[in-house]
Amino acid sequence: MGSQTKERIFFFALGVPVVICLLAFFWIAATLFTGVGTLNLEFLTTSALQGGAFEMIVGTIYLFLGAAAIAGPIGVFAAIYLVEYAPSGKFTRIIDQAINNLAGVPSIIIGLFGYTFFSRQLGFGISLMAGWLTLALMILPIVIRGSEEAIRIVPTSFKQAALALGATKWKSISLTTLIAAAPGIVTSVILGIARVAGETAAILFTSCVIITRGLPASPLEPVMALSFNMYVQIVARGEPPENVFGIALILFFIVVIFSLVAIILRVYYRRKQPWLH
Amino acid sequence: MSNKWLNKISSFFVSLKSQPMEIVLFLCASFSIIILFLMLFFVAREGAVAFSRFGSDLLFGMRWNLETNLFGGFPLLYGSIMVTFGALLIAIPIGVCTAIFVSEVLPFYLRDPIKSIIELLASIPSVIYGFIGLLLVVPFISSVFGLVSGQTALTASLILSLMTIPTIVSVSGEIISAVPKEYKEASLGLGATKWETIKTVVLPISKSGILASIMLGFGRAIGETIAVSMVAGNQAHTPSSYLEAVYTIPSFIATHMGESAVGSLEYSALFGLGLILLIITFIVNTLADIVVKRGVQHG
Amino acid sequence: MKSKVKELVRKSNKGISTMLALIGMIALLVIGLGIGYVLNSGTTGTSAEFPEDSEWRTGAINLAGSTTVLPVADEAAKAFMNKYTSATVTVQGGGSGTGYASAIDGTVEIGMASRGPKQTEIDAGTLWLHPLALDAVCVVVNPSVGSNVELTLEEVAMIFAGEYTNWNEVDGSLPDAEIYVVVRESGSGTRGTFEEYTIDEYELEIDSTIVHEQPSNPAVRTAVTNTDYSIGYVGFGFLTNDMVAVSLAAEAGDDYVPATLENIANGSYPISRLLYFVTSSPTESGSLADRFISFVLSEEGQAIVEDEGFLRLPASNNYP
Repeated sequence: MGSQTKERIFFFALGVPVVICLLAFFWIAATLFTGVGTLNLEFLTTSALQGGAFEMIVGTIYLFLGAAAIAGPIGVFAAIYLVEYAPSGKFTRIIDQAINNLAGVPSIIIGLFGYTFFSRQLGFGISLMAGWLTLALMILPIVIRGSEEAIRIVPTSFKQAALALGATKWKSISLTTLIAAAPGIVTSVILGIARVAGETAAILFTSCVIITRGLPASPLEPVMALSFNMYVQIVARGEPPENVFGIALILFFIVVIFSLVAIILRVYYRRKQPWLH
Repeated sequence: MSNKWLNKISSFFVSLKSQPMEIVLFLCASFSIIILFLMLFFVAREGAVAFSRFGSDLLFGMRWNLETNLFGGFPLLYGSIMVTFGALLIAIPIGVCTAIFVSEVLPFYLRDPIKSIIELLASIPSVIYGFIGLLLVVPFISSVFGLVSGQTALTASLILSLMTIPTIVSVSGEIISAVPKEYKEASLGLGATKWETIKTVVLPISKSGILASIMLGFGRAIGETIAVSMVAGNQAHTPSSYLEAVYTIPSFIATHMGESAVGSLEYSALFGLGLILLIITFIVNTLADIVVKRGVQHG
Repeated sequence: MKSKVKELVRKSNKGISTMLALIGMIALLVIGLGIGYVLNSGTTGTSAEFPEDSEWRTGAINLAGSTTVLPVADEAAKAFMNKYTSATVTVQGGGSGTGYASAIDGTVEIGMASRGPKQTEIDAGTLWLHPLALDAVCVVVNPSVGSNVELTLEEVAMIFAGEYTNWNEVDGSLPDAEIYVVVRESGSGTRGTFEEYTIDEYELEIDSTIVHEQPSNPAVRTAVTNTDYSIGYVGFGFLTNDMVAVSLAAEAGDDYVPATLENIANGSYPISRLLYFVTSSPTESGSLADRFISFVLSEEGQAIVEDEGFLRLPASNNYP
């Protein structure tokens, strides 16, 4: 049994890093929770003009909802093309590569591009619109990948049934495969939202201001956001981190909730989809 | 030869025209390529002035001085490499071991929950990592090593490693899980222990995938902006130890874009640095893709 | 076949309704927050500090520029908007360079700057400077250097340029220890002002490989307080008893002037500066920009200036 104990030791050693990862997450969460005291309904609903975080919260929500609305359809259509229509060949491989590359572009470069293209070239300036377009670039690869996966696992018999009934290719896909893949697609959109809700570098030059009255009246106006405000207060105003605890906690909650929802949905639908068994 | 090509292209477009929806779908799929080209073009356009003025000095010049219009980014490159290297040094062993552990050793019912927690670790925003870094790690480093300020390359590497581990774990984990069951069962059937199976069957097959995950982790680490800019100390020099402050390329761009006047030489130099970063990540990501594809062919 | 397809679509539709429910909940959350906001921002009545001409009250202006002025602008904008509940004042950061550039090209109504304009900026367009606060950049040292340190501007310049590396070299009475130099990041208005009076004046250069950069006044303060034999510079409002403020003499042979409120106000302290709002034309009397600048210059605004660590403008403004 010498080799068995040897094996146990190896596995134990392997397990240490895992424990480190888990500890790291819980440590981060625990630290943030110590600031729960600063959170109350008042803080969430009071305007920034009186020291609250209301516009920042809504601004963050505006930003990721708009970005998801732009990246969602484009991403789903792209995924459908890649799974159902794309001829296997060089061009398709290049598209695939491009999606992977887009996913790997550092967020600061996306921000730089967003600033010079959306803000300056297209003239959107520092606005909600520029933020939407820039953040959409970050959500897009996530939606494409997730939707691809969701569409791929739908049995082809679904769309073939519709095809056999005389529907066009697009009609068959949209009425059967797409609907069946919908849960997976929505999950990927939620994951995309979780990714950009806390994004700072991409919106640093494209859409945010430090203080303004109220919420933007049109997408061409700038917006206040949780991540931006937190970053500027620490770096530009030199405030000690303790002062932004409340904002950090809200942001953490938003991101964790969206991530958890995505994870739960994925598990739930994995069980519910009968064609997987 | 060219006739065949022409035929291919024309039949491609003919088939597209027959279904208008297909054109829409095709455009959406090509969107990523279009955006990448636009990105390359526009970032290069803004950086062109600086490159024509300074050439390779933009990256290898030693001094960045606003007043004298001297823009040399070598200390920034040095800082980026220091911090990324340090982060990978920590993240690779932890990440790979975790991936092996979660995919092979952990009992089934624990796998998904643990994977989910690691996924949650990945989704924490950069600015929160920086916040935690400032709150906890910076004072810790400063007291352990007796420094004036705990904002050092070491601190940045630590925080960055936390952010890189999930990338390595998820990609490696996927690759390791994809090793066909039959191979493992065959090995076990021949009398090998689980650990021996991992060592001699699973790992060699997953080698290229793990390598790819490391490259992706590298790309993630070198491009990380916000968290690093909050804890690295932000001094543009080439330190001899990890206990000194450093400046990385993305942090530098983030902190200096605001103050540079649009169209100025500094503005162009910052875009030039951005272009360099973009090209580095392009190369790394493309290489990672190639490594995975080659691995699939061999495996 | 048909029925099977229908059944499958029906089953997946159940999944979709869950999705819709989720989306619905998020929408309700946003609507709820919106209602909360509307209920919260009940007008509290405007105080008639300014006459009733109303056009500016519903206007909007943008500010951008110096991160030194930023805290003042941020707090002043909040106070102003709370007072005049239909006006909108939007504040962004950037840097003094951005402040001048955006004021000149019109992207903002008011730029913020912590330094005077450079020649290139003066050439680029007409500028109107509105001082809003007084600031002095005080040279500070760690108490280990001495309790009453006196230096000339030239000596300060040479220390920061690395010409002196040991306190002993500067003055025999100072300790025999290596000088630890702390500076601000390049682009800082504070650094710009400091170097204007020292480094630039004596045509020296900061050696960026030996100095230690900190990104803000509080950060420099922490560094100098905690590092023996260190020297740095901070705005007057950031002085504490844990550091020693150096008495400065503009030239050798002049009196050494300590950094006190009085000396700064009467102009005898050598390194002082004004913080400015910058506009590209004289602000139209009665416009929102004009009202906001007046607000910052009023008692309430100047109190904010002091809260943020600066000095209010002296009564008799005899500065360039």
